[in-house]
Amino acid sequence: MKIDIQHIAKLARLSIPEEKAPMFERQMEEIVAMCENMPEITADFDPVDPAHPMALRRDEIAPSFSREDILRNAPQSQAGCVVVPRTVE
Amino acid sequence: MKNYEMVVGLEVHAELNTATKIYCSCKNSFGSAVNSNCCPVCTGMPGTLPTLNEKVVEYAVKMGHALNCEINPVCKQDRKNYFYPDLPKAYQISQFDIPLCGNGYLDVILDDEGTTKRIGVTRIHIEEDAGKLIHDDSFAGSLVDFNRCGVPLIEIVSEPDMRSSAEAKAYLETIKSILQYIDISDCKMQEGSIRCDINVSVHKPGEPFGTRCEMKNVNSFSGAVRAIEYEAARQIEVLENGGVIHQETRRWDDPAGKSVLLRSKEDAQDYRYFPEPDLLTIVVPEQKVKDLRDTLPELPQHKTLRFMKELGLPRFDAGLLVDSMEKGAFFDACVALGSCKPKNIANWLLGDVSRLCNEKNLALADTELTPEKLCGMIAMIEKGEISGSAGKTVVEEIMFSGKNAAQVVKEKGLAQISDAGALEEIVKAVLAANEKSVADYKNGKTNAIGFLVGQCMRQSRGQGNPALIKELLLRHLG
Amino acid sequence: MELYEMTAAELSRMMQAGKCSAEEAARSVLGRIDQVEDKVGAYVTVTGETALEKAREVDGKRAKGEKLSPLAGVPIAVKDNICTRNVLTTCSSKMLYNFVPPYNATVMDKLSDLVVVGKANMDEFAMGSSCETSYFHKTANPHGLDYVPGGSSGGSAAAVAAGEAPLALGSDTGGSIRLPASFCGVVGLKPTYGSVSRYGLVAFASSLDQIGPFGRSVEDVAMLYSAICGKDPMDATSADRAYPDFAAALCGDVQGLRIGLPREYFGKGVEEETRRAVMDAVKVLEKKGACVKEISLPSTDYALSAYYMISSAEASSNLARFDGVKYGFRAEGCEGLTELYERTRSEGFGDEVKRRIMLGTFVLSSGFYDAYYKRGKQLQQQIAAEFSAAFEGCDVIATPTSPTTAFRMGENLGDPLKMYAADICTVTVNIAGLPGLSIPCGTGANGLPLGLQLIGPKFAEQTLLNTARAYEIETGGFRAIPEIH
Repeated sequence: MKIDIQHIAKLARLSIPEEKAPMFERQMEEIVAMCENMPEITADFDPVDPAHPMALRRDEIAPSFSREDILRNAPQSQAGCVVVPRTVE
Repeated sequence: MKNYEMVVGLEVHAELNTATKIYCSCKNSFGSAVNSNCCPVCTGMPGTLPTLNEKVVEYAVKMGHALNCEINPVCKQDRKNYFYPDLPKAYQISQFDIPLCGNGYLDVILDDEGTTKRIGVTRIHIEEDAGKLIHDDSFAGSLVDFNRCGVPLIEIVSEPDMRSSAEAKAYLETIKSILQYIDISDCKMQEGSIRCDINVSVHKPGEPFGTRCEMKNVNSFSGAVRAIEYEAARQIEVLENGGVIHQETRRWDDPAGKSVLLRSKEDAQDYRYFPEPDLLTIVVPEQKVKDLRDTLPELPQHKTLRFMKELGLPRFDAGLLVDSMEKGAFFDACVALGSCKPKNIANWLLGDVSRLCNEKNLALADTELTPEKLCGMIAMIEKGEISGSAGKTVVEEIMFSGKNAAQVVKEKGLAQISDAGALEEIVKAVLAANEKSVADYKNGKTNAIGFLVGQCMRQSRGQGNPALIKELLLRHLG
Repeated sequence: MELYEMTAAELSRMMQAGKCSAEEAARSVLGRIDQVEDKVGAYVTVTGETALEKAREVDGKRAKGEKLSPLAGVPIAVKDNICTRNVLTTCSSKMLYNFVPPYNATVMDKLSDLVVVGKANMDEFAMGSSCETSYFHKTANPHGLDYVPGGSSGGSAAAVAAGEAPLALGSDTGGSIRLPASFCGVVGLKPTYGSVSRYGLVAFASSLDQIGPFGRSVEDVAMLYSAICGKDPMDATSADRAYPDFAAALCGDVQGLRIGLPREYFGKGVEEETRRAVMDAVKVLEKKGACVKEISLPSTDYALSAYYMISSAEASSNLARFDGVKYGFRAEGCEGLTELYERTRSEGFGDEVKRRIMLGTFVLSSGFYDAYYKRGKQLQQQIAAEFSAAFEGCDVIATPTSPTTAFRMGENLGDPLKMYAADICTVTVNIAGLPGLSIPCGTGANGLPLGLQLIGPKFAEQTLLNTARAYEIETGGFRAIPEIH
């Protein structure tokens, strides 16, 4: 399996410098090669498990956190908001 | 549109009016100060986990019932992965291959005869809303407000069953009305609580469907109509000029009245959906599915049809009555009394009663009006005991004084004179005083009779029975 | 004997008997940290001041006769991927070098009267088997400073082994508690998936992660596990069930216990000395009345593949939130959004984390999902089914925790596959959601500890603890804290 490392990096919002790309590519191809020895399983994978239903939360309001606590780790904030570079649609 | 048929499919996102957000206990409310309804969960802080609000599941199931869906009592949630600053976890928890509701339909009313068209509903799923980006020209960057993060949404996906913007509009309006009837969304368009994405394609009749384009970010129903018309015209123009339509996502810019390319199919996002490992299987017990169905009221589209087909109301009147749950219910209560004609009830409710409520900015429930009082008055008109114009005075009194119609009529001396002997004198006097009109009538200007009736009504201070007056006039003129 | 050499159970008894105070215990442990930390490097953050404050608070409460938990006042190290309110929580990553959570992990609330002496070093975002991928520094194995402590909870295991804490919390996604427990010669328990709340544990692979205890004795591990387990409304995946007091119910009786030895765990790649040590340990249990039979778990060979598919897929999504917007590191001088994302993530994550994120992104990407992720999930079901079947014929499965003793620092760093092989005996347990415990069982030729892994059916922690306790009684318990020069 040939892996298009730059395409994957772009999807993952990583930039891989050219000099490191071959290393990542080789290592990932090795890992994927290992995984290709997985047997074909005929049993269908069931993504739901009704035997273990999820308990749902009651619709009751709990106090929110203070704005200070929400923003205190933000690298940049202003006017009570987190700041990001201008987003253009 | 000449020689082309358009195909429209809609994805409607509606914010649910639960008390709390979908995955945390923060308050679900619009218009709060920025970042004031937030916690580590809805702002995606490391290590935090979602817990699903039970009301969100209930509301979605109710909508599923309202749209005749099959409910999937065993379903799951999935992660939709993409990066954007308003999505703090960098994935949206949604539903992918097993939505809560699927395979339903909605019959929408298309014309005054009550012709309906069945629009397929592919699925309804639950998901979380994203935050809001604020762009302020005084500042180079954008600001992120996380308050809306985690506000519960249902996404209702239709089949590509609509063939005109009018059908799409009827579908959207019916969906909105249902959301209000089953009380699961505030449906405040200006607050963005209903939004839609629109898929449009065009093709020549008899040919296979064309390639579709999706338009995002449509925030009003009138905008949806404009977007559909614009997009169909754009595609036809491309085809007429020998071009081809490419599958793409476009953004509708309503102020500018046009759609602009957002991304082509080649750049389509790879959302890498996979089952949300932080949540287990959603199981809605069979009994609960049934109980939720039993909570549904008569749905607006059914009410409209009933008003049209069983009670003989025009579509416009029926629509107005159904639009307001309160008026619809009041109307039904009046009809149930059986003492007057439905059309007359509708006229009064939609006419003077609505006008007076609007003037004073009151709901019906804020007034003293009851179905009994209103029908009492209408019955008096129908029996000729009071005139319609007297009714205008009566209705205002009974809405705000608490008295009934008979009391008001008596106190104000509004009883209609239906005694031919008493009216005879008035008729004679009016004929004598209006020789010109009498001459006009005799010369063929038959509408002069209206003027004469009016004069008689004035002489009787509004209490004369106009039908009787007309009859007496005609006898004299005859 | 110094207080830092005591077990948590001993300290607890002494405090309750008024023979020592929490402050004295904290001072002793902090003194030990001062003494050896520059060589071991078990911690990212030592919280000396707040530890002493908390110790005094507990002493005050005890003096007033207030109700305290059994482990009240006992010092503990907490892996740095468990959120601690107002205390730096870095995941040993540049990405979170300055992150101070405004909230506690649920386990921290449950342990509110223990004395946190520091946040333990780890492989970056818990991805690794050697504790070498930490952004801050490497942690050394207290039994041989040139050797790795194992990972990813290397700091937690090393702290307990070196006397820098009697107890520690770690997290285990594919062996991250058991492997370092084995390498450092301490006891570590990876609990049944769903028995300990994950709320506040910075997620690596949500369906596999589990917080668990380290200690120098089985009793300590039982006490700490009792303190942290239980249903949490904040974690939808936490199981709703009642748990016993594991320490109170602890006994060394293995009479009639059926021990299964899966042949796949003793084959190629497992050192002879490891195999012999594990077989000797099993013989000790056999002598005490357990019966032993060979079993087979045929899908074991593919477990590592399934593990890397599932864990990387989940990690790629879990770690997407680290984007320089809301918290942690943000690359400077970025022009637009894309540059902010790409540079922050490229500069903030180390190579191993990037590798897993890209692997996970790949297996979930359009066109590859069915071939990789879905097959991994199918295999997971199969592996779980094989364990269930095996547990019809036995109560406990015994295997090596690791095929070898600790390896030298740097030995496997450039070779991910070789590094991943260290997890070969442990990943199946996470994949099947089972409890697994590692207890020291002798030493290799290099003088470094070896570990016996005990695996049980879901929620059979008591059986594992009792089996380990039986072995501990027979073999004299943990080795003395090593001298560190």
